[in-house]
Amino acid sequence: MSLSNLLGNWSAYRKTHEEGGFHDYEHMWGMSIDLNKCIGCNACSVACYAENNLPVVGKEKFEKGQAMHWLRIERYWDEPDLGESRVSEYQHHGASFVPMMCQQCNAATCEPVCPVAATYHTPDGLNAQVYNRCIGSRYCSNNCPYRLRYFNFYSYYEDAWPAPLNMQLNPDLSVRDKGVMEKCTFCVQRIRTVKDKAKMDDRPVMDGEVQTACMQTCPTSAIKFGDILNLHSPEKAEATDVSRSWRKHQVELGKHTQNKQNKDLRGYRIHEGLNTDPCVMFLERVREV
Amino acid sequence: MSVTQLLFTARWFHRGVKQLNLQLKTNNAGKMALLMFCLLMFAATTVQAAVPGVIPPVGTFEGKDVPQPIEFPHDIHAKINGINCMYCHTYARRSKVAGIPPTSKCMGCHSIIATDKPRIKKLTEYWEKKESPKWKKVHDMPDFVHFTHEKHLKKFVFDNEEMQVENVSEVCAFCHGDVKEGTVAKKSKSLTMGFCRECHEANGGPFDCWKCHK
Amino acid sequence: MSLNNIKRRKFLKIMGWSGAGATLAGCDMPTTMTVQEGKEEVVSYLSPEEYVIPGVGVWYASTCQQCSAGCGVHGRVREGRVLKLEGNPEAGVNAGKLCQMGQSALQTHYNPDRITAPQIRSNGVLSSASWDEAYDLLKKKIGADSGLKGSRAAWVTGNVSGHQSVLIDAHLDALGASQHYTQEVINDSVWQAVSKDMLGVANPRVRIDKAQAILSLGADFLGTWGSPVQNAVEYGSFRDSPRGVLIQAEPTMSLTGSNADLWLPVKPGTEGVLALGVANVLMSNHGVKNIPAQFKSLVNQYTLEETSKITGLTGEHILFTAKTLKERSPSLVLAGASAQGHENGYEIVAATMMLNIVLGNLGKTIEGGKQLPFSQMVATEGNTRDLLALSDDLSAGKYDVLFFFGANPVYSAPEALKIKDGLKNVDFKVSFSMFNDETTAQADLVLPLASSLEDWGTHVAAKQGARSEVSIQQPLMEKIYPETMGFGDIMLSLLKMQKVDAYAGFSDYYSYLRNAVNNMPGFKAKNGGEAWKEAMQAGSLEVKGRSLNVASKAVSIKMSVPADDAQYPLTLIPSARLGLWDGRHANLPWLQEAPDQMSKVVWDSWVEIHPRTAAKIGVKEGDLINIASEQGTIKAKAYIYKGVNQNAIAVPIGQGHEGYGRYADGVGVNPLQILNPAVDKKTGELAMFATRVKISKAGKANDILVRMGGSETQVGRKLAATVSADVFERTEGGA
Repeated sequence: MSLSNLLGNWSAYRKTHEEGGFHDYEHMWGMSIDLNKCIGCNACSVACYAENNLPVVGKEKFEKGQAMHWLRIERYWDEPDLGESRVSEYQHHGASFVPMMCQQCNAATCEPVCPVAATYHTPDGLNAQVYNRCIGSRYCSNNCPYRLRYFNFYSYYEDAWPAPLNMQLNPDLSVRDKGVMEKCTFCVQRIRTVKDKAKMDDRPVMDGEVQTACMQTCPTSAIKFGDILNLHSPEKAEATDVSRSWRKHQVELGKHTQNKQNKDLRGYRIHEGLNTDPCVMFLERVREV
Repeated sequence: MSVTQLLFTARWFHRGVKQLNLQLKTNNAGKMALLMFCLLMFAATTVQAAVPGVIPPVGTFEGKDVPQPIEFPHDIHAKINGINCMYCHTYARRSKVAGIPPTSKCMGCHSIIATDKPRIKKLTEYWEKKESPKWKKVHDMPDFVHFTHEKHLKKFVFDNEEMQVENVSEVCAFCHGDVKEGTVAKKSKSLTMGFCRECHEANGGPFDCWKCHK
Repeated sequence: MSLNNIKRRKFLKIMGWSGAGATLAGCDMPTTMTVQEGKEEVVSYLSPEEYVIPGVGVWYASTCQQCSAGCGVHGRVREGRVLKLEGNPEAGVNAGKLCQMGQSALQTHYNPDRITAPQIRSNGVLSSASWDEAYDLLKKKIGADSGLKGSRAAWVTGNVSGHQSVLIDAHLDALGASQHYTQEVINDSVWQAVSKDMLGVANPRVRIDKAQAILSLGADFLGTWGSPVQNAVEYGSFRDSPRGVLIQAEPTMSLTGSNADLWLPVKPGTEGVLALGVANVLMSNHGVKNIPAQFKSLVNQYTLEETSKITGLTGEHILFTAKTLKERSPSLVLAGASAQGHENGYEIVAATMMLNIVLGNLGKTIEGGKQLPFSQMVATEGNTRDLLALSDDLSAGKYDVLFFFGANPVYSAPEALKIKDGLKNVDFKVSFSMFNDETTAQADLVLPLASSLEDWGTHVAAKQGARSEVSIQQPLMEKIYPETMGFGDIMLSLLKMQKVDAYAGFSDYYSYLRNAVNNMPGFKAKNGGEAWKEAMQAGSLEVKGRSLNVASKAVSIKMSVPADDAQYPLTLIPSARLGLWDGRHANLPWLQEAPDQMSKVVWDSWVEIHPRTAAKIGVKEGDLINIASEQGTIKAKAYIYKGVNQNAIAVPIGQGHEGYGRYADGVGVNPLQILNPAVDKKTGELAMFATRVKISKAGKANDILVRMGGSETQVGRKLAATVSADVFERTEGGA
């Protein structure tokens, strides 16, 4: 994509915001993650390793922060929303688990800073990372407030998959070389396959047809994935499960603070105030008080 | 320069002109004349093309001669016997890859036909040993490229109302060249990103990086 | 360059085109632009099935073997290689979901450290041999002319079921032997013993999805208790509105505990008192009158005050627990590893089961499940009683021949059981194994197994789901190593060697299973088709079982708690994790790199210790701690957090392997080694959670405790916000 096309795309995005729609988009893939159901088991993270050719880096590199877990489960011990009374001698209320992956921000902070436009916004609403174009400046990961971008400091393909482990590699996506940035892609290879199939059958993509690796394996079904393109158009919004979830929790795209009628609704987006406009909504964790 | 290339270039020029908003200092009649000329060129291009409604990709490439385990004669099969490309390369319309035909497909005919010929004898040897020949890939994309045969066939052949399936080799020739003339495959198009882009731009294909880069 | 090309390039430049590849056409193409012709090979198929299309994956149904839950899987196979596993949506056990151990089955299968040929020990060293040599040796040692007395041979396995179980039984029969030790370190066998006695059913079906309140005494049902994926699927419903409440009481926090609404750090060994204390509150404050006669005096004895004192829990928490169980009906009370692992484990679990009876949970959240029509295929579940028996029998020199399959007692048994020494008394040890684990390293003959993704099998899950089924295992690809063999195939050869006629007609395990499945009682194929074909497609066969009922029965118990020990003041908790399990998955890099759910540690062992306990010995995070029991000492690095009772420390099991491949060798420590050989008096199970230790600071470690980065708290950022349950019900209730 040429630089002028790229810049044109961004302006078009901002413009369509004001007009209240995403006219040229084919889809807008989004997620709804229910922290009431996430048990922090890690199945999603390992499924992601299996699906996306993620290298195991080993203890030393892990310690240097060079782990390549596109989806990681963050674990927090505090519950600031429920007040100081919750803090005591013991961890009486368990942990808070937050599965974090690339939020596919509509106003991504990583996109404008790439010197070679290797990361941009696709017509599917995804934040794309083109490995060929990346020159490894790492400006994008510097700018990501979620710290969800991972850089290949080494040529992992040389030793991360000793034969026959390399037979497990997924041919639907690249095995990345040294010097290239990578991150969660919402399993774009699966999206691509489903879209191709739908095009071949001359029909639209159905809700639930695309399943990302994480959501497919999640035992409690805490992760929901789907198309939120028509979120703001009342007639079409009820078409997908995730869309319904966003609407139910009154979370809207294109905003940096939500204006909910019912402030108690659990849906929220992380670091929304930074104006990143992420496509991932979290539902607040619940505890008996 | 071939006629097709000339016409193609002319159409490009026209589009380029439009994009750059060059002011052509002509009156209305002049503008109409220019428009007619361009339209005629456009029509000429399309009428001249072997596949109706499609502007084929341009360019050539001097490919290497790649020796194969059996020197498969495309000329005998595709030209002399007129076998449709998709008879052997069946998967083209249902998969990313067109597929080298399984040995059982070859044996389907050659268990009976031309069994005395040396190449058939070699093929039969493989079949009896329950092995497939290790073909050398001639048209190869780098691992980071996602190319689907089925979508291209759908667009150029099956969804193309004026196109007959019997002429599918014209579409195959876009990228694989005129395979009917030789024996084993030889690369005759560059298959670079630019090669793909030109055709996509001309025929309204997607230009999203993530459509093809995986 | 031709004129043609230059012109086009110029035009392209005018168009503003900057695609890197576009500006080059014609000769001198850099090979980075496109792959050179003739460099890669493409081997065509020989004669594929119609549905095999290169470039498009074929999905096959099978059954996961990473633990004994037996979840159904769908394997994605492309060009003859299995690439990804997903849960099978049609499977009754797991309803389309899969845990990380299941996902990692790919790494078990493609592991670079697999044994690829039979190994025979000569002059003390194992070296590669052929299958002919292996069978010759077997013939010599156990064949008809070997003179082997049946009583001198035995099998040692983990959980087994299905036709594998049938063949093992047949082999024992053929040898005139009868001893089959089924040993598993992770088991719920005390719960099953109590269930049998108090409910009339050994393996009741617990309905987490139906419960409105769960009190779990150390049952890590989301991680390592029962069927974890099945439980997690039900947990998803449990948390929907009306939202169930989870109260977990255990000495150190398990995965399930980290999701509890209320986590109670109960003093180790006092879980039974807690159960009785809760019953006391139900009686005193909530008008519950149906305390079984046998429990009345115990319930009266453990008043709120007494219970609070003994368990170390606050009165407030105990009151809340009783109130919740009474008001949120139906409830469910479970007891797991840390409750059962004491010298009075049976009694503790019995007190827990009494709560279920008193709360009226029988038939609501505890169901009888179904009895399946083929008893010889039903799961034989492992326990530690068999491990202890094996230890005794080995010391007594009872055996000349031992067969090992799916068991690694040299690793998982406490040192005190002297398994490794005992094996020296056995003349001929045969290990059916994929890897060179600690037990296999002691074998005289190693038979390399095909992986679960390369082999056939039938399995009957011990914890059946919504439908009763026999799960099918089929190969997802050809064997990577031609000299490995499927377990069933080896067994058929052994049976033929013993001249068992019934098996002579089957050329391989595939034909045996096909015949067996097609003749399975209690099953009828739809549309009169072949049962086998249906089974292959679905991944399981639904079978009609006989519904069992739970009915409360009387048991008499006493109650006691472990005495304090000044010399060994703390209790060692060898906690199991959903990941490395009992150590069998330490050789899988994905699972080593997956951070532990609580501590976020990778590639290591650690000690979980409360800040106060740590302060007493002056230890900070990452410092080495010496942990000494009466049996021995281990050292591990400290992870300090408040999810540990101050009278306990936890060292998760699974690491500390010797050998077992490049990913497991020398990583971390194995706390199972230093456990005391104490047993539960009633069941004879190893009291794994009763070992007392003393700790001391052992200085700085040579390396640091590597954990996944990120802070322990949110530091004012709204990352994981929490709402109270009543707000949740108000806004989403009735949804």
